[in-house]
Amino acid sequence: MNRIGFLLDEAFVNMRRNPLVVSGAVLAVFVSLFLAFGALSVQELVRTNTQQWQDGTHVIVFLKDARDGITLDSQVALRSEIDGWELVQSTEYVDKLGAFEEFKKLFPNSPVVDNIDPDVLPASIRVRLSDSTRYREVVFNLIDQPAVLEVVAPGESIENIAQLSRVLNWLGFGLALIQGIAAVVLISNTIRMAIYARREEVSIMRLVGASNWFIRIPFLIEGMIEGVAGAALAVFGVWIASRVVGDVDAAISLFDFTISSGFFVKWSILFLAFGALAGVVGSALGLRRFLKV
Amino acid sequence: MIKLEDVTKVYDGGTVACSNVSLNVAKGEFLFLVGASGSGKSTLIRMLLREEDVTRGKIWVAGKDITTMPSWKVPYLRRTIGTVFQDYKLLPNKSVAQNIAFALEVLGRPKAVIHRQVEQVIDLVGLTGKAERLPRQLSGGEQQRVSIARAFVNRPPILLCDEPTGNLDPATSVGIMRLLDRINRTGTTIVMATHDHAIVDAMRRRVVGLESGQVVRDQAGGRYEQEELVE
Repeated sequence: MNRIGFLLDEAFVNMRRNPLVVSGAVLAVFVSLFLAFGALSVQELVRTNTQQWQDGTHVIVFLKDARDGITLDSQVALRSEIDGWELVQSTEYVDKLGAFEEFKKLFPNSPVVDNIDPDVLPASIRVRLSDSTRYREVVFNLIDQPAVLEVVAPGESIENIAQLSRVLNWLGFGLALIQGIAAVVLISNTIRMAIYARREEVSIMRLVGASNWFIRIPFLIEGMIEGVAGAALAVFGVWIASRVVGDVDAAISLFDFTISSGFFVKWSILFLAFGALAGVVGSALGLRRFLKV
Repeated sequence: MIKLEDVTKVYDGGTVACSNVSLNVAKGEFLFLVGASGSGKSTLIRMLLREEDVTRGKIWVAGKDITTMPSWKVPYLRRTIGTVFQDYKLLPNKSVAQNIAFALEVLGRPKAVIHRQVEQVIDLVGLTGKAERLPRQLSGGEQQRVSIARAFVNRPPILLCDEPTGNLDPATSVGIMRLLDRINRTGTTIVMATHDHAIVDAMRRRVVGLESGQVVRDQAGGRYEQEELVE
């Protein structure tokens, strides 16, 4: 117990002596892992949304109503026509009342709900396709139909976002990689300065026969603490960011911005472990030249 | 206790620090290494600690061949050897007791043991009541006593001293030598490199003279200067 206490004390003494250098190393780890975690989260969001889209409604056809001279009969006729198309797997009709219910679900606390007349909301046909990637063909066939008010395919926005996210991911991972290398280098530099500041102690430790590991461990602990601290900041940063973005959720209902907690917890643990590893590796690099007997 | 066999040390630049040194130091012996600066005394001490590798030859310390010892075992070698230097090598921000305890802490000794041993050794070196002082609040002689206490607190069988009185006035030096003599009488083998004529002459112990890295004299009960041409 005494040994562990002594080693931890030594590590903390090191860090107290060089707070600026230590914070530099911590921030470098933070920026690196924040970028990496951020990129990963965006990727995950795109993945879950794409999947939802693939599993769910592919095309929504909003319908004109009596005010435009379109009767319920022609709406039904359109539905059966769509049903007959080769690409279409199934359809679902949502009437004005159903649309109002959905609207209430989307904006549960909005005062608008009380003032809105269910009649202004259009009825719609939800279309599921057998091959979701070919939604464009169906949209193309639909826009000319007289009963159609508007055709919405979430696929379009999802494709745009997927495209954007691919670019962002490469950028994010590239920056994270560069910054990650910088973090390891900075930690190794921090450790080198810590050793330099303590060269007298270290030389006396060697003189009285402290084992090499006993001398190294405080510096490795220091590196590890810096790595974990940076990773913890990154995890916290991503959590804050996901909360902020999650609030936008309701406004842009086609895209779901919530990260599942399973995903977040799993990757948080991995990123913390990675931070610890980066710290130990950086520290070992800093120690390498110094601790030959 | 210490045995050197044809030990030669050539530094990278080609400087020969020791050539064909053979020496046997028995357990409990007190040996002076004398010679001018650059005669190889310090190199010899550094080789005994494995701070320098030999170029040729063999060295045994406490029965172990240290020239072929793997480097991870070197710390254990150093635990059997206490070292005292001219410049004390104390940590300025630690008290007397903390400086001495440091040597035991880095070996992972339990706190209670450290406390007891530190107290004993402070009494032994005559610094009773000064345990909480910082090195800068002590005289040179007292600082050297702390350094000796740190070297001896682990009760090593061997004590290596490199010019321990080099920075001290004659009267203080005498005090330090009395202390080393006392430690020697507990059975500790002492090898001391020195320039100090008065001390060597007063102590009358075994004297090994070095010149340009070679042993030129090995005399029991000798003086600093060679009196007659007797080996």
